[in-house]
Amino acid sequence: MKDTPKLTLHRMHRQEALAGWGFIAPQMAGFFIFVLAPLVMVFVYSFQSKNLLFGGTAFYGVGNFRDLLADPLFAKSLVNTLVFSAGVVPLNLLLALALALYLGKGAYGTRFVRSIIFLPVVTSGVAWAIVWKYLLQGGTAGPVNWFLDQLGIAGPNWLFEKGWAMGSVVVSRVLKNLGMNVLIFMGAVLNMPPDVLEAARLDGSKGLHLFWRIKLPLLMPTVLMVSIVTIIGSMRVFDTIKLMTDGGPEGSTMVLVYYIYHQAFKMFNTGYASSIAVVLFIIVLVLTIAQWSLRKKVSYYEA
Amino acid sequence: MKNSYVHARKPLSVLLVALILIVSTAALFAAGSQEAAKPTSPVAITIATWTSNKDQIALLESFVQGFAQSKGIVINTTFESIPFADYNTKLSLELQGSGGPDVFWVLETAAPAFIASNLLAKLDTAMKNYEPDDLSAQALALWSKGGSVYAIPFSTSPFFILYNKDLFKKAGAKSPAELIAAGTWNWDTFRTASKQIKDATGVWGFQTVDGAGFEARVLHNLAPIVRSYGGDFWTEDGKVLINTPESVAAVKLFHAMVYTDASVVPPGNQSDFFAGSAAMTVGQVSRVSKLVDAGFAWGIAPMPAGPKGDVPVIGQAAIGANAKGKNVALASELVAYMTNKASVAAMAGIWPPARKSVLESESFLTSNKAIAAQDMKAAVGDSIKTGRVLPSHLQYPQIEVESRMVFDKLWNANANVQSVLDEVAAVYKKYMK
Repeated sequence: MKDTPKLTLHRMHRQEALAGWGFIAPQMAGFFIFVLAPLVMVFVYSFQSKNLLFGGTAFYGVGNFRDLLADPLFAKSLVNTLVFSAGVVPLNLLLALALALYLGKGAYGTRFVRSIIFLPVVTSGVAWAIVWKYLLQGGTAGPVNWFLDQLGIAGPNWLFEKGWAMGSVVVSRVLKNLGMNVLIFMGAVLNMPPDVLEAARLDGSKGLHLFWRIKLPLLMPTVLMVSIVTIIGSMRVFDTIKLMTDGGPEGSTMVLVYYIYHQAFKMFNTGYASSIAVVLFIIVLVLTIAQWSLRKKVSYYEA
Repeated sequence: MKNSYVHARKPLSVLLVALILIVSTAALFAAGSQEAAKPTSPVAITIATWTSNKDQIALLESFVQGFAQSKGIVINTTFESIPFADYNTKLSLELQGSGGPDVFWVLETAAPAFIASNLLAKLDTAMKNYEPDDLSAQALALWSKGGSVYAIPFSTSPFFILYNKDLFKKAGAKSPAELIAAGTWNWDTFRTASKQIKDATGVWGFQTVDGAGFEARVLHNLAPIVRSYGGDFWTEDGKVLINTPESVAAVKLFHAMVYTDASVVPPGNQSDFFAGSAAMTVGQVSRVSKLVDAGFAWGIAPMPAGPKGDVPVIGQAAIGANAKGKNVALASELVAYMTNKASVAAMAGIWPPARKSVLESESFLTSNKAIAAQDMKAAVGDSIKTGRVLPSHLQYPQIEVESRMVFDKLWNANANVQSVLDEVAAVYKKYMK
């Protein structure tokens, strides 16, 4: 008899746990089937020689990875991805932070500017890319070049000249996603403790000093989080490339994800494409770990 | 404590009810599908196409029903329309699985890979009843291997020039029809007309095929010029010809039109022939329907001739049967029926035929209401007889993406055509073994 309450408690806990598992089961099933299983399969395929069209699967060891080393297109797309990220990430973060600090002041027209900046975020990526392709036409046919022409500048054929295409894609991508980062930064800016800022001001800190020594450290956790998300997002770019340049000119905008698509769904080299995906996964993983370990060094203040 | 025990039970019972519901619904569905799977007399046939046009699907369905009647069976057809851009990808994935369509259209660029991967059933036996000799060996070349036919082209559509008569008149340029009559319709007079129109009207003289001649359709754009100069990209037996003097001269002509004359809609520019913003473009019979409501008078002409005369380029699409399908024999017979003389004649106005008897018939020349009979003969019928498809290759997608990167170097004013084409040739050679 003495044991009965204990047993009930135990049973009760077990039943609660069961109910809990039951409730998250649909979500977990989806996660396992559509996220985890494919992820594991990509790793498995990356060690196989596998072609979807010709059928046939054979263990290939590290063969795919060895082939990657000798594939000039892979090298090119890897470099292009890094160039793209190196363009998108700093530009996006600097612009977003500057805008957030400015908009955080609540100056005249803030709402209007905020809406304009956020508009591209809710616009379809496909529509955005097609409109930019139109804007960036060469000669004086495109509105951008027409405007430059009015200023006496002959604009290039943005998306069809090797030196300009990557830059053009970067700018269109930054403007597309800027709004979300501005919004997140604004939240952080508005949440900076006013007493700390006031104390700093009383101590004579202002301008750049105030920004570097007080505001930026306060914003650092957000900056870190936003930079991780932006870097990962930039590594995943696909639609912008497919629609604006198709990887050209001269392969100067062929990025890793686009090359994965090409190998997997045009050549049907599923094994080889998986090995590229694994490389991309490792790059993103390493970058994320590096950023998290950097956190302690750069982030004086954890929200 | 007791309270929370009761609370914990409630969700549990809700969950149980939900589970029972889900399981019973699933069981009901399973029972339903079991019933559908019971073998009954009608045969189910799935046909995959990249058209979703209702009239075209109805036409295809009428062939299926005609076939069913001739066999004395009942066929229930399901049409699966896959968007053109995803066609190869989705179809290949389906065919690798067990639920692929029984009959499907095949793209020209996919032909070698589809045959090599044993996805297509041999059609030799099925074709026997339907005058196979009426289909020229040339038309079947891409779809045959080792003496067997694996798919039958239902569309053999030559590329021709579409032109804006109003712009020619406005510029005072001799129209293609006049030049043909004078026997001087060639790439030089074509170039002159293009420049004359640009200079006189400010409107572009020529737009490349679908406006994609610098990008996805670089081969379709250059092939007519290159071949009529006596050059080519590569040949069936693996010879690379893209950097021969003939090919280089041809590409130089086009390059000069874009960068010296500035009469061709340049890369990235979205001016469109069909909107009246270019005087000429390259099209096929299927494009003509876009001109029904055009705000200008238009005409068609065969591609201009080069030093080697008229060398038309044709685009093909074929129909084949799934080698791993449930009704391979029946599906193969259906494919043969759908490309027999009567079916081909019924399709001729949309998809020009590969059958000699239909091509030579009077009714073919009047099969498309928008095209005059003499134009249909000159720009379509005659071109099919002598035309060739683009070069094909098992690894076409890889060659395409790799050579595109080099072709891109052509598209600036200072490009050295010979050295760029030497580089293209080097890419091609890697794949010709």
